[in-house]
Amino acid sequence: MSNDFAQFQDAFFEEAAEHLAVVEEGLLQLEQHPEDLDLLNKIFRSAHSIKGASGMFGFNAVAQFTHKMETLLDLLRNGQTAVTSKNADLLLKSTDCLKTLIDAAKSGTPVDNETVKRLTVELAAASDMNVKAESKVEKGASTSLSVPSPLTPHPLRCFHIDWAPPEWLFQRGLDPLQVIKELGDLGTLSQVAVDASRLPDITEMDPERCYLSWSMRLETGKDQQVVEAVFEFVREDSVLTIEERETLGVKRETQDEKAMASGASREPVAAPHPSPLTSDGSDSEPKPLGEILVESGVVSREVLDGALAQQKRVGEILIEQHAASPQQVEQALHKQRQQEAASQSKKTDTASIRVDTAKIDKLINLVGELVITQSMLSDLGTRFEMNQIHVLLERMAQLERNTREIQERVMSIRMLPIGTAFSRFPRLVRDLSARAGKKIQLVLSGEETELDKTVIESIGDPLTHLVRNSADHGLETPEVRLDDNKPEVGTIRLNAFHEGGNICITVEDDGRGLDREKILAKAVTQGLIAENEKLTDDQIWSMIFKPGFSTADKITDISGRGVGMDVVKRNIENLGGTISIKTEKGKGTRFTLKLPLTLAIIEGMTVRVGRETYIVPLLSILESLQPRPESVKTVIGKGELINVRNTYLPIVRLYEVFSLEPEHTDPTKGILLILETEGECVAVMVDEILGQQQVVIKSMEQNFRKVEGIAGATILGDGTVGFILDVRGLFEIACREASLVA
Amino acid sequence: MAAAHPETVMKHLHQPSESATNGSQFLTFNLGEELYGVDILRVQEIKGYTAVTKIPNTPSYIKGVLNLRGTIVPIVELRTKFGMPTIEYTMFTVIVVVVVKDKVMGLVVDAVSDVLDIDKKDVQAPPNFGARINVSFMNGIGKSGDKLVTLLDIDRMLSGEDLQGVAAA
Repeated sequence: MSNDFAQFQDAFFEEAAEHLAVVEEGLLQLEQHPEDLDLLNKIFRSAHSIKGASGMFGFNAVAQFTHKMETLLDLLRNGQTAVTSKNADLLLKSTDCLKTLIDAAKSGTPVDNETVKRLTVELAAASDMNVKAESKVEKGASTSLSVPSPLTPHPLRCFHIDWAPPEWLFQRGLDPLQVIKELGDLGTLSQVAVDASRLPDITEMDPERCYLSWSMRLETGKDQQVVEAVFEFVREDSVLTIEERETLGVKRETQDEKAMASGASREPVAAPHPSPLTSDGSDSEPKPLGEILVESGVVSREVLDGALAQQKRVGEILIEQHAASPQQVEQALHKQRQQEAASQSKKTDTASIRVDTAKIDKLINLVGELVITQSMLSDLGTRFEMNQIHVLLERMAQLERNTREIQERVMSIRMLPIGTAFSRFPRLVRDLSARAGKKIQLVLSGEETELDKTVIESIGDPLTHLVRNSADHGLETPEVRLDDNKPEVGTIRLNAFHEGGNICITVEDDGRGLDREKILAKAVTQGLIAENEKLTDDQIWSMIFKPGFSTADKITDISGRGVGMDVVKRNIENLGGTISIKTEKGKGTRFTLKLPLTLAIIEGMTVRVGRETYIVPLLSILESLQPRPESVKTVIGKGELINVRNTYLPIVRLYEVFSLEPEHTDPTKGILLILETEGECVAVMVDEILGQQQVVIKSMEQNFRKVEGIAGATILGDGTVGFILDVRGLFEIACREASLVA
Repeated sequence: MAAAHPETVMKHLHQPSESATNGSQFLTFNLGEELYGVDILRVQEIKGYTAVTKIPNTPSYIKGVLNLRGTIVPIVELRTKFGMPTIEYTMFTVIVVVVVKDKVMGLVVDAVSDVLDIDKKDVQAPPNFGARINVSFMNGIGKSGDKLVTLLDIDRMLSGEDLQGVAAA
């Protein structure tokens, strides 16, 4: 049962994250187009969905906070107040806060209660101002004597509600408490009484039946329709009466005043304290023992507080009794925290994907076709004669078509538009520009480009880093920009597009560009290069990807560039991608990320060495050639080099590295593949190139272990296993063996 | 559950017999004239020998890897592992696919022989040959009629740096 529930909770968190993203994105757009009502409605709907769902799952803190946001949003929506940047800012901050609240509900991470409180007050104040303004317009002079509550903008009405829910209430998964709580959200509930007279003997009781009914009194500023709407889902078969008793002409008094007033003049109030189901923030958890004792008058609040102060934690008691040392307790607590953290990380790991039903339907159709083709083939197989060979070939072709289509469809299920990864940047840039005092506009394009979900998830952080770098260090301050005859507003461009079998993402700014001299000087002081070493521009730019580069002592101009850039590069390379830089001093910098569309399938070149077949990732192949004898040279009699357009590259003979029996041992008879890895090039010698094909990557580690020089395995056309070469690994083996020989 | 998976059936059939006889069932196979046994619950399947792909730079007893319905499974040549001379593969040469610590592996053996019930009392501790023969991967010597079965501890035998990237425990 609890597991099922957890499953729904996961769905809730996922949805909440999506709604939050909508809210945030909407708010950012709203700043640009304050009059866009559709946008406001969209934001409101998302916020409302979060509120509804969180209430349903009992995340009251989330529900209440969202409710406050919703109040303000509602006022904005009704045009009762204008969308100011102050309001938008407040709502954005609240969105962040809501995010932490939801995270807290999900994994129990601590919440900054101060922030929550402060924002709640601010939200209430914002809505309040609007209310004040509105009530003045409506009634001229406001009669408000006390602090008006944001929740009750209208004169108070008093309803008496009798509700006998239908017996099937629980069977449909509805919760009467939820209804009562919602009523509590509308105003102040009092005199909530339950009628348990229909409750049968426990032996005859059907736990799925609802025998209870309630009566209560609700003071609210809302209309009767609003109150009735609360019962929307449970109205059927309910016995429900909602009677308006009297209209209170004045605004709601503070709690104390109301208690006094109602005690004196109106009908007697049963409970002197407001019921726990009022709008002022208590939740559904059973009351602690102390509270009940205080309420029933057994002990006074002071006595209870004193007793609670004496109460100790288990650890302290154990230390006092000398059963455990403080260190041991501390260790145990530490362990507990670790376990909590571990269980949290486990929780967050479960990933799911939402798929368009249309995609699934198509897939099912295709599988249907596949089954038909298969049965046609097996039918043919049972009574096959040679003259039917053309039928066989035709059906084989059909099978191939089906398979390819299914493959494409299944892959497309994992594909998501990259917009989901881009969506965080408008906010990031907005905050960054405010903090750095720069004017920045962000231009996004190609958001609809689709790529693998895993890739999208893993490029978020590297991209954030690049964007932040561009905003922090790439773009200049408005004054500097104006001095340089550039537009005051700096531009950061994020673009995504397909190129060949890859996806390219560019992060581009029109800032000051990388400073060649400073990077060079830094590289020399860090001992990365020799003083007078000749380097190409590309080699210099790639310096900023070296670990620790520029972190040690900061050069004012390019500080930060390079901090963590090694991590960016590593992340991209882990995804099988590459990163390159193009920069011009004073004009700007462009980072280009080239990523495979998916992690599961790569484009590969099949090559043969002796009797073995290997696959070389196409991404790493620059070119392939058969060398002329005069272009192969040796160094120290052993190290072979090949001259490719006046650059000498080391030759690695694959058969030597893998101890195979080759067909050719002479480089001029075999084929050299020029492979690139991390900016270095190497010529790998194979016997023959067989062709190019897409290969599905299979894990070697699942049943075996990592093998040096091999990135993974795949199933070749004939059903046997082929290995995918790990170019970097090959290079390392070759270097090691060379050093052994030397 | 009209059409249960054969493996499931196998497991269900075996469990009661194990508790009833207080012994175990072993799949036995030949290497030359000798008979070896592995706990049948560890055997996933038996398949005829098909060509494998050699893995570069690995010990000789690792024959290579095989595509077993889409998963890559390493194949160990048991004769080489035991330092016995290799022979030509025949139509009886099979691969016994076993599960070792959640990993699936294949063992090349000369031929499968039988499934034997061996009572606990018929199992004796591995003999001591001193340093001449390593008996650490034997669970014991089982007797079934006049046959002698060397019971293998495949966990110990097949986990190690060469095979699973971890040092043997």
